Order: sequence, then C-alpha cells, then structure tokens
Amino acid sequence: MSYIEFKNVVKEYKMGEIIIKALDNTNFKIEKGELVVIVGPSGAGKTTTLNILGGMDNATSGEIIVDGKNIEKLKNRELIKYRREDVGFVFQFYNLVQNLTAKENVELATEICKNSLDPEEVIEKVGLADRKDNFPSQLSGGEQQRVAIARAIAKNPKLLLCDEPTGALDYKTGKQILKLLQDTARKENMTVLIITHNGAIAPMADKVINFKNGTVQKVEINEKPMKVEDIEW
Amino acid sequence: MKKALLKDTFKEIKKTYKRFISILLMAFLGVGFFAGIRATSPDMVDTIDKYFKDQNVYDIQVLSTLGLKDSDIEALKKIENVEEVYGTYSQDAEINIENTQIISKVLCLEEVNKPVLIEGKLPENIDECAVEENFLKLTNKQIGDTIEIQIENTTNDDGEEKEYLKQKTVKIVGTVRSPLYISSERGSSNLGAGKINAYIYISKENINVPEIYTEIYIKVKDSNNLTTSTAKYEDLIESVSDDIESIKAERENARYTELVDNATKKVTDAEQELEKEKQDAQTKISEAEQEIADAKNEITKAEQEISTNKEKADKEFANAESQIKTAKNEIYKNEETLNSKKQEVQNKLKQAEEQKAKLQSSLNETNSGLQQVETQYNKVVESLKNENLPEEQKQTLEKTKTTLEAKKQELQKVKQELDNGIKQIDEQTKQANQELTNAQNQITAAKQEVEKNEASLAQNKKTTYAQINSAQKEVEDAKAELQTGEEELAKNKQEFEEKISEAEEKLIDAKNKIADIENPKWYILDRTGNTGYSGFIQDTESIENIGAVFPIVFFVIATLISLTSMTRMVEEQRQQIGTLKALGYNKLQIASKYIIYATLACIIGGTLGMCVGFVLLPKVIWMMYEMLYTMPEIITNFNFTYATTGLLAASICIIGATAYTAFKDLKYTPAQLIRPKAPKKGKRVLLERVPFIWKRLSFTRKVTVRNLFRYKKRFLMTIIGIAGCTSLIIAGFGLRDTIRSIIPNQYSKVFDYDMQVGLKDGLNDEQIQNLITKLKDKEEITDVFEVYMTSATLVNNENSEDVQIIVPKDSNELQNIINLYDVETEEKVALSENEICLTDKVAELLNVKQGDTIILRDSDENEKSVKIANIVENYISHYVYMSKNLYESLYDKYETNVLFTKNIDLNEEQENELSKFVIGQSEVGSITLQSTAMGIMDETMNSLNYVVVILIVSAGLLAFVVLYNLSNVNISERIRELATIKVLGFYDNEVYSYISRETVLLTLIGILLGIFGGYFLTNFIMSTCETDMLRFSKVIEPLSYVYSIGITIIFTLIVNIVTYFALKKINMIESLKSVE
Repeated sequence: MSYIEFKNVVKEYKMGEIIIKALDNTNFKIEKGELVVIVGPSGAGKTTTLNILGGMDNATSGEIIVDGKNIEKLKNRELIKYRREDVGFVFQFYNLVQNLTAKENVELATEICKNSLDPEEVIEKVGLADRKDNFPSQLSGGEQQRVAIARAIAKNPKLLLCDEPTGALDYKTGKQILKLLQDTARKENMTVLIITHNGAIAPMADKVINFKNGTVQKVEINEKPMKVEDIEW
Repeated sequence: MKKALLKDTFKEIKKTYKRFISILLMAFLGVGFFAGIRATSPDMVDTIDKYFKDQNVYDIQVLSTLGLKDSDIEALKKIENVEEVYGTYSQDAEINIENTQIISKVLCLEEVNKPVLIEGKLPENIDECAVEENFLKLTNKQIGDTIEIQIENTTNDDGEEKEYLKQKTVKIVGTVRSPLYISSERGSSNLGAGKINAYIYISKENINVPEIYTEIYIKVKDSNNLTTSTAKYEDLIESVSDDIESIKAERENARYTELVDNATKKVTDAEQELEKEKQDAQTKISEAEQEIADAKNEITKAEQEISTNKEKADKEFANAESQIKTAKNEIYKNEETLNSKKQEVQNKLKQAEEQKAKLQSSLNETNSGLQQVETQYNKVVESLKNENLPEEQKQTLEKTKTTLEAKKQELQKVKQELDNGIKQIDEQTKQANQELTNAQNQITAAKQEVEKNEASLAQNKKTTYAQINSAQKEVEDAKAELQTGEEELAKNKQEFEEKISEAEEKLIDAKNKIADIENPKWYILDRTGNTGYSGFIQDTESIENIGAVFPIVFFVIATLISLTSMTRMVEEQRQQIGTLKALGYNKLQIASKYIIYATLACIIGGTLGMCVGFVLLPKVIWMMYEMLYTMPEIITNFNFTYATTGLLAASICIIGATAYTAFKDLKYTPAQLIRPKAPKKGKRVLLERVPFIWKRLSFTRKVTVRNLFRYKKRFLMTIIGIAGCTSLIIAGFGLRDTIRSIIPNQYSKVFDYDMQVGLKDGLNDEQIQNLITKLKDKEEITDVFEVYMTSATLVNNENSEDVQIIVPKDSNELQNIINLYDVETEEKVALSENEICLTDKVAELLNVKQGDTIILRDSDENEKSVKIANIVENYISHYVYMSKNLYESLYDKYETNVLFTKNIDLNEEQENELSKFVIGQSEVGSITLQSTAMGIMDETMNSLNYVVVILIVSAGLLAFVVLYNLSNVNISERIRELATIKVLGFYDNEVYSYISRETVLLTLIGILLGIFGGYFLTNFIMSTCETDMLRFSKVIEPLSYVYSIGITIIFTLIVNIVTYFALKKINMIESLKSVE
C-alpha cells in the first residue's frame, strides 16, 4: 500500500443551485519520501486536492489514505491533530504572522508540536540565521517564503504541502525556494507535494501528477529527477 | 450615484450584514437610549399632565387656618386669569372596623380633582361614599358594606359645635383613584398614630356646616393649554399666585373681622339678654320677697290678734273662773257654814240626841224607874192583895204604896216632862234638819248653778281656745308656707345667681375667645404642595438628569465602534476603491457607497431605536414607577425634538466616522490603493527592551503582548468600551449606594433623636414641663430635649435658600440629638454661642464658607447678619443651628415648640402605641417618628433604584454590543492570521485562547480603568442628579465594585463564547485564498 492514496475522490461545491465538481473521481498514489509536483491549468483541482490532503477541507466522497489512515473518516479534532502533527503547509503568499519575527513564526508552529525540530536550527537550515529576529515586513519575498517553509518543516511533518510556493517570487528566488524544498525532501526524507502551474519545473520531481478538469489525467514518474539548479525555464 | 454603485452598496450590505447590523445596532442603541431615556421624563410629565387635565386637578390651592367663605371665593374669582374657584371640604376621620383603626382623609366629590372611578359608582346620595382600593384591602370590606365615619365636631361661625357630617354611617358604593394621591403617601394626621391610611370620597351634601370651606381650589385660565411643571406653566401659576398673595392679607383680615364681629355681636347680644334676664329675675325675686314680707306681716298681725284674743279670752275665762271660784268659794263657804251649821246642828242634834238619849235614858230610867215603881207598886199592890199580909207590912206596903204612888206620879210627871223634852228635841231636830236640808238644798242649787256655769265656761273656753288654736294653726301653716316660699326663693335666688355667674363666665369665655381668635393665615399652594405630585416631578427630573449624562456615553462609544467598523470596511475594500478610482469615479461617488451604507444603518437603526426607545424605555421605567405611583398607563409620545437630535447625533457620529475613513483612504492614488495595504507591520514593543520581564514570558504571552500593541486602535477601543461599561455599572451601583446611604446618614449619623414632637401654639412653660414629665414617665422614652424650630431664608448676594432654624434650649444638649460634623475636619463640633452652624449643601448653593457672614431673613422679613462658625454635614434639607442666646439677641424670646425624644428600641407595634399616646396629649400638635420619616424617604429613594437597574442593564447591553463588535472587527482584521494558525494545527480552544488572551487582558485593563472611571462618573452623575434638598455623599460600596466587575466579566464571557464559535467557523481555505 502506498503512503498516500487518493481513491475515487469527489469534491463538489454548491454555488446556489449549480453544483460544481472540483474533483471528479480522482485517483493517485504517492510513496513515502517522494517529491511530487502537481501540474495543471487553473481550476483543474490542484489546490482542492492539496486542501483535502492537508486536512483543510473534506471530500464529498472517496477515500484519502495517509500513512494507513483514512483522513476522510477523522473527526474534527483528529483532523486538527493530523494537521498539527503530520502536515506542513507552504502558501503562495507565505501567510506569516506579521507581528512575529522570523524565528517566532517558526516557534508558533513548534510550540504546538510534539516532535518539532529546533526552530533556530531550522532557520539556519533555510539560510536565515542572521535574519531570524526580523519581522516579515523587513524580509524579502523569498526570505519570507523561506520562513514559511521553515515554519512548515519545523513541525517535522509527514508531508509537506506547497501551494504555488514560487508564485509570488521572481525566477531566481523561486528557484532557490524550489531547491530548498527539494533538498529538504531529500535530506529529511520528507514527502513533499508542490503545486505549480509551471510545468517546466516538473523534472525536479519524483512523480508528476497532471490534473485537468478535476481529475488526474496523467501520472509521470521521473526515474531520475533533475536537480533544481539544472532546470531552466 | 450610478446604478452599479448603488447595486454594489446593497450587495455589500447583504454580504457584510453582520457589520451592517452591528452599526445599525449601535445607532439603535445610541438613538434608542438617548430618545427613550430623554423622552421618559417628558412622557411621564405628559402622563401626569393628561391625568391632571382629565381629572380637572387644581392649579392653585388656598388653605386657611380658619376656613374659607363664599366671600373668599368671590374675591378670588375677581383675580385676573382665575378661571374657576371651587370651595370644598376635607377632614381627617377615624374609621374603626373591628380591631383596626383606619385614619382616613374624607374628601368631597367635586368638579375639581375628580377621582377616577374604578368600580361601582360615585357617591350620589348623602349616605354613600367611595373609597380607594387600598381601603378595601385594609378593611376587608366590600362595595355595598357600610362604614361609620367618626369626625371631630366642627364649630360654625356662631361658635356652636356641630357634627361635621349629617350622616355618619355611609355605604361604600365604589372604588376610586384620586389624582391628589398618586403616591402611597397619604399625609399626616393628628389622629391615631399620626398617619393617614386611606382616603374616601363622600357626597358634598353630607357636610353639615357647608358655609365654611376647608380649602379652595383654583383653576387658572389657559393652564390647560400648558404642560404641568413646565416653566411656562409655572410662570403662569406663579403670576396668579402672586395676585392671590396680594389679596391674602385683606382676605385674612376680612375673615378675622368677620369672625370677631360675629362673636362680639353674639357676646353683646348675650350680655344684653343676660342683663334683661337678670332684671326680670331680680323683679321676680323682689316680688316674691314682697309677697313673703306681706305674708309675714299678716302672720304677725294674725298672731297678735290671736294672742290678744287669747289674752282676752284668758282674762275673761280667768274672770269667769274667778267668779266661779268665788262662787265656789262662797258655796264652799256656805257649805262650810252649812257644814259647820250642820256640825252645829248635828252637834246640837247630837246634844239633842244626847239629851234625847239622856232624856231617853232618863226616860228609860224613868220608865224603868217607873216600871220598877210599877213593879214595886204592882208588887206592893199584889202584896197588898195578899190579905194575909201583915198589916204592918200592909201599912208599910200601903205607905210604900202611897210613896210609890207619889213616886209614880212624880215619875209620871218626869216622864211627861221627858217626853215633852224629847218631843221638843225631836221638834228641834226636825227643824234643824229641815233647816239643814234647806241649806243643803240651797248649796246644792248654788253648786249646780256653779257647775252649770263652770260647764258653760269650760264649753266656752274649749270653743274659744279651739278657735284660737285653729287660728294659730292657720298662722303656723301660713308660717310654714312662708318658710317654704322663702326657701324656694333662696334656692331660686341661688340658682339664678349661679346661672348668672355661669352666663357671665360664658360671656367672659366668649370674650376671651374673641381675643383668642388668631389672625387666620392663608396658605397659597401650587401643585408642588401635593406630595405625590412633587415627588413624581422630582423623579422625572432625576430621570432627566440621568438622561442627560448617560446617552452621551452611549454616543461616544457608538461613534468609536462605528469608526472601527467602518474603517475596517473601507480598508477591506481598498482595492475596490482603487479600481473605482482608476475607472474614473470621483471621491464623492466612491465615498457615497460607504456613506450610504452607514447612513442606511444609521437611519434604520436610529429609527428602530426611536420606535423602541420612545415606547419601550418609558414603559420599562414606568413599570418600575408604577409600583410607586397610582396613575394611568404612561403615554408614550413620539418626541420630534429628541428623535431628530438623537438621529442627528448618531448620524454625525457614525456617518461622520465613515466619511472620515473613506476620505482618508481616497487620498491615495489608485495605484496605491489597488495594491493590498501592507499588513500592519510587526514591531517590537517597549516591553521587549526589558529582557528581565520579556524573557520570563512564555511564547504565547509574548505574542499576546505584541499583538496588543499592534492594534492600538482596537486596543484602546476595547479598553474604552469595557472601562465605559464598568464605569456605567459602577455609576449605577454607586448611585444606588449613595442614595441608600442618605437615609442612614441623615437619620442615624446626623439626626440622633427618635421622635420629633411638635407642640401646639401658645403653651406656657408649665404646660410644656408638664408634658415633658409625662413623656419622661413613659418607659419607652429615655430622654426629652426642648428645641425651637422655625423657617427662614438665607441670603447671600443674589442667591437665597430656605432653611430650617433649630435652636436648642440648651446648646450643650444639642449634641445628644443632632451630631454636627464639620465637613472639613470631619470632627464633631459644639454649637458656638454667637455664631451659627450651617449645613453643607446650602453653604455650597449659596457659596459661603466657614467664617463668612450671611444674611438670615425671617418670615417677617427681618434681615440679620450672622457669622458662620462651622459648615456641618447634612444630607436632607437645609438647617441652621444657633444658640438660644444668639436667637434671642437677633429675634424674639426663645419659645420651645418642638420636643425631640430619644427612645429605647421599639418594634413597629410599640412605636404605634407610643405615638398614639403622645398624639393623645393635649399639648401635642404633631409627631414625626424617625422611623416613619426614614420610611417615607426610603420609598422616594427606592424609585431611583429602578433607574439604577435600567442603567446597569443598558450598560451591560452596551458592553455586549461593543465587545461583540470589536471582537468581530478583530476576527475580520486578523482572519488570515487566524486561518494560518488553524492550518498550523491549533486546536479550537488554542485558537480561541490565542485571541481571548488578548481580550482577557484588555478586559482586565478596561475593568481597572473602569473602576476609576466609574468613581469619577459616579461623582459626575451625583453632581448632576443632586437636587437642591439632598446632598449625596458619594458612596460606592466595595461590593458594588465586585458586582460591577462581575457583570462586566459576565458580558465579556458571553461575547467570548460567541467569539469562540465565530473562530471555530473560520474557513481556512476561503481566508487564505490569494488576495484578490
């Protein structure tokens, strides 16, 4: 059995009288420690998949197995516990707490986690040791995203979910962030999912899942994923 | 306004309905509270105004100490602006039902002050009455039952005592409600325990002496066009009162003259009559006396006559008697002579007898001699015969015989002689006897005649004396009669004298009474003279005062809240504003969305608030006052002024705040606006520079601290909101505590006596001492103090205030009954001999201090300067304390008119007993028990308690709205942050405490500030609410702080619970969606 399994997942939204199917019978599998890139056009169901996988949203039907647990069957509190201990999130707009310094933003996550990593070390790992006491507003976008990643990985989660982590960043910074994610996945043997509409970065992944119209169109497996710095787009 | 924009505005409202509602609610509360509380007072005034107009309640009342007459009514009618004058009667009565005694005010049914009929019908006949509802409760009587009204007799103008009522036993025919008694206070009485329990209405026909009115009620022209207690109304009434005041002296005088003339004439008539009667009686007496004298004379005459007659008779009878006596004597003499003759005769007869006997014996001897001789002779003869016989013998014998024959012859001769002698003697005896018998016969005849005479005399005497006796008896009878007559006369005389002296005494009495007729005093009272009315108006004033302060707090907070809300809204819509601006809309067009939004919220909320406020608030407040006043249901009016003012104020606050925020953002260029506003930058707080503390704080606390300083506006708002709420609640409680403290302060701390006994006028010292002894003898009373109390006016510059002057007979004793605490030193001070002590509130009103000189004006307008020795604590009314010496040096002689007593602890029943005893003393005019005074005040104070409840409830409501609103703003402002931590896996309660930690801290700070704020707000409200007669001593009980804090915390908790669910509902995905 795979580490993560999406089985016949359907997600419907009701917008007034119209029912929109965000996910329509989606199936895929991800193995532990895989770096997965999910690509597809806007509205293909990438973010919905990520949200459901991250325990932020519920599927209308289907099974989502993560490390042997069907998270669809979790109660609210268990779902929060799942988010708290098993999942790390990285958003396009970083979503740092503005009132907290870089280190404190990381601490915000580690405070509530049992197996958390040392915030200082994580900050160092993302290369912000000398900026740890700065507030988000004093940091550049890339730096902020690094803090966000640090915050996500400091929890030592089973899977790291990144929704367009480079969407708001310039090419160079984006590349650095992607490298950080790839490195983290490799070093920590962390399962990482990256959503992107930029198919060009797909080669960095172990597995590339293509979404279209709310369902998985194609799953590609890169036998030899490329290093981020080697990819140009 | 473009259609699209308008549409957008409405869509916006729909979308952000919570915000819209919260602004609407602020407007609702602000306007509603303002309008409602402001309108309550005028509504209450309108209610009483309508009630009074409906019941045709008087504008001015005239009372006189000696009653009022039709002439007074005529005089009053002539005064300008006097529309109608009604003379009527009222009197206190005792109504005893089983064991309870109800002291009742007996009123007459009139066209003025008409009672409202509740049940049954109004009394129409002389033997009917209507009672207040409470009367039935007190007595367990029902409509249809009869009661007996006992009223002291009244005196008519002729000085005659008359029954007050024609018909004492009356039937209850209905229950009524009198506009004159809207509060539960029925006034005092000098009957029973000194308190009136109920009022009853009787028909006017039942009044026995209808020519003397006890009071006159006046309706002033056009007063019905004005609202009672308003300045215009009061001015009108005052002008008429002044006019009445101007005829007062004349009318008082007229009444006095009338009474005096009447009485004087009566006395004069009585005097004349008495004189006449006296004379008549005198004449009668003299006549009687004459008669008696005549009778006496006659008696004397008769007596004389009788005695003369008697004498004459006596004399005559004596004569006759003496004649008879003489005759008797003669007879006696004759008898004696006769007797002696008889004796003589008898002696002679005896002699004769003896002679005869001698003769007889001689005869007998002779006879025997003869016989012997014969015998011898015979013998001799015989012997001679004998032949034989010797002749010798025979010769002897014949010799013897011849001797014998001689002898015999001699003897025969002697015998003859003797026989002759005897015959003679017999003859003589016969003759003598004859003579004697003759004499005897003569005497007997004389005796018989005398006896006859005597008998006739006796008869005569008897008749005469009988006559005399009867005459005498007649005289005796006449005498007795005369005596009875005399006695009767004496008795009548005495009676007459007594009667005269009695009549004279009465006359003197009557004359004295004339001298005693006091100059009547008129009292001209307006409606404020009615306890219920004035209490009611005062209550409306205190509501008005509170209404002046509290809505301001509401408006301030409402403004701040709207400001926060709208700022948030405008900020949220920055990009839209930027877009619109980029599209070429002008500032006004763009801003109009928010202004319309706010205006709509404002107008809808405000209008709703008005509707609810104008109806609900007065009704709610009324509900509480209803317990105190018996009145018709409150009239709730739509008060245009308050409506517009409230709405305007709310609009200025809310729309102003909105416009301000909108235009502030509109200053920026579209480019600036279109970009998301940089989230508030994180900043280090000052506390971080104190590592000593900072390091000790846990991570979460650090976050809290930093967050608190990050959102300064919200931070301030929350603190202000909570502080405001706490302050309001504390002020509410403080108001209650202060009001509560007034009574114990006045009646325990300052006034230490238990009973105040008002004395009747004109008692002399002996009577007063007598009463004091009687009171002191009561075991319930431990001490009695003499005091003189009067009223006066204090004048300083322009200001003047009425005060009560208290002059103790003994300055040193004052401290036993009244404690004078100097306000500055808070120490007890003694009454100075030459300076006054003044109570604090009046000192404040007149702006005078210790050591100042002030003018004291007495009721006769005498103005005297006095120096103030101390300003002393006092809570109710104003007093001036001065020594007896000072008083006498300024005014008249000191004269005790009030006694203060100290009693042992008594229960209600014992107190009633005691007051019954005291009021029963002839010297006592009135009594006030401290407990009763406290009770009355307590009731008045209770009414303010309700206002306090309203304050607390509305403050709580405000707190709720503020906190809820702020919490909403907080959540909306920080939704991303909250969503983020949710995503990070914060449990619901962790998310909640992330926020609530801040709230709690803010609440704590707010409460702390609120305690101070509350203290000052209480002071502020006190000074606004304080009436001239009361001094509030700003007391806030520690427990009130506890309650206030508790209530605030409860409201915070409620809001936090709501927040908890709001936080739980935060949708992470929606919230974290990329910024549009």
